[in-house]
Amino acid sequence: MTNATAIGAPMKSITTKALVVVVIAAVFALAIALGGRVIAQQIVSGLMLGAIYLTVAVAFTLTIGVLNFLNFTIPSLFMLTGMIAWGLREKGLLGFAGGWAWLVALIAGVVVATAASLVVERFTFRYLKTRHGDATEHAIPLVSSLGFLLIFEHLVILTLGSESQRFSVPFKADIHLFGLVIGAPQLVSLGCALLVVAALTFVLKHTRMGRALRTIAENPEIASLLGVEVTRVVPVLFLLTGLLCGLAAALFTVNYGDVSPFMGDHVGSKAIAAMVLGGIGSIWGAILGGLVVGLTETLSIHFFGGDSVEMIIWGLLLIVIIVRPRGLFGAVAVGKGKL
Amino acid sequence: MLLEVENLDVRHGRTHAVKALSFGVGADEIVTVLGSNGAGKTSLLRALQGLTPTSGGRVVFAGEDITKLSPPQRLRRGLALVPEGRQIAISLTVHENLLMGVYCRDDGDIARDIKRIYDRFPNLGARRDMSASVLSGGEQQMLAIGRALLARPRLMMLDEPSLGLSPLLVERLFDLIVEIHRDGLAILLVEQNTQMALEIAGRGIVMELGRAALEGAAADLRDDERLAAAYLGDGHS
Repeated sequence: MTNATAIGAPMKSITTKALVVVVIAAVFALAIALGGRVIAQQIVSGLMLGAIYLTVAVAFTLTIGVLNFLNFTIPSLFMLTGMIAWGLREKGLLGFAGGWAWLVALIAGVVVATAASLVVERFTFRYLKTRHGDATEHAIPLVSSLGFLLIFEHLVILTLGSESQRFSVPFKADIHLFGLVIGAPQLVSLGCALLVVAALTFVLKHTRMGRALRTIAENPEIASLLGVEVTRVVPVLFLLTGLLCGLAAALFTVNYGDVSPFMGDHVGSKAIAAMVLGGIGSIWGAILGGLVVGLTETLSIHFFGGDSVEMIIWGLLLIVIIVRPRGLFGAVAVGKGKL
Repeated sequence: MLLEVENLDVRHGRTHAVKALSFGVGADEIVTVLGSNGAGKTSLLRALQGLTPTSGGRVVFAGEDITKLSPPQRLRRGLALVPEGRQIAISLTVHENLLMGVYCRDDGDIARDIKRIYDRFPNLGARRDMSASVLSGGEQQMLAIGRALLARPRLMMLDEPSLGLSPLLVERLFDLIVEIHRDGLAILLVEQNTQMALEIAGRGIVMELGRAALEGAAADLRDDERLAAAYLGDGHS
């Protein structure tokens, strides 16, 4: 019999998963033991960066898990949030500055990204009358989502320029704990990301909409036979995708203070790596993958310099998928019954 | 007639799966559709539920033209399909599968109806919170039928429900279909097990290359020499 999947079904392979987590935790514990406070600081930073990656990775996982569709617009939704927020403040479109303007601008950015995601749904799925899960036809949403990525990026370049910009927030609250510096916004972002993902997991497991999504993930036709209007549920996924990307981008912008029309590409590729590393279609896999990629990035920079990051992350990914093709937490049956 | 099919045409690319087929199913009937592999039986049921588009003709259910409606819309009007190969969701638990059965409903009797399904199929109750993948073939079929019943259809279409079941289970399955029918559901049954199907059905249609080659009372079809020659020949006494 097919093994149970990551969420919803009872987890048969729960011991394997626990083992994976323990091994990863042990590796980093060893690193701290050997490297002391400096390494501990890198690990704290890595976890914070990982929180951003995992949120975007979960967005990828949702669409690929339910629709079998790699949504290439995700990086541009991420970028839209940051650039719109910056643009609104820069051009004085908010009508006020200072105080909470940064927050209002970011919320507006999230709203725009979510709306953009729904526009993408219209054009990639609804108007093209794509039949979900059809092997030949799902190339079409893939390509049209790639088209939207380029359109959004160049719309932003045309209107707001191609420069990297500074997005400042009027506070700088670092928490000092055991001699480590932890940025308050970073801590908030890790909390936010985990909270949102936990809520999402709850929705998938315990609500009517969640069951419908999981049934679509396994077989859209069964869902349709049971009364699920698949075309009406799909926009919910795109809404969630927009919100997750927006949240991740808002946290990223507050944490690092930089926005650019290309900010999504970097984060998007890392999130894809995180998703594959964790196991395609598994939300907890995406979370673990996001944290591992974040940690690997900061530690690579620390030990080998910034130029080594991509090589090490993608090298690690290749090793993992050779040794364990379904990823760390992935379901056995790739392609069916995901989420 | 609860279901009326008029001149139905179904094409898949170049294949003309169903050709100008007309028939009806009364509200108190069991009608069986027989025919060899590739005769168009599954295409017919899929088109009736709206899973594949029709290329001609009309489907009328309870007096309403449903030809253009989606599968969920047809389900809400009382037309349910239990597809070939049972098609339960194995990434969901048994109970979650049943909850999907009431997805299309929003009345207050849901809990009571689910309890009735457990009473009817105690094996499902015993595996309530397990992944539906642990069920045996027979149990999966019970789950598929139970789940379809929870939508409270007026007409249930079953596509080769006996496929892959042991003779004992096939017997129980047909008893169950008769029982469901007695509870007030019309049944449209596609079967390879011609003999059993004609035993419980009132009428039968034999399809051949997308057309109705033969049609009539089940008792007559049982005795029909042409059917025996064309269809009942192998493996049937």
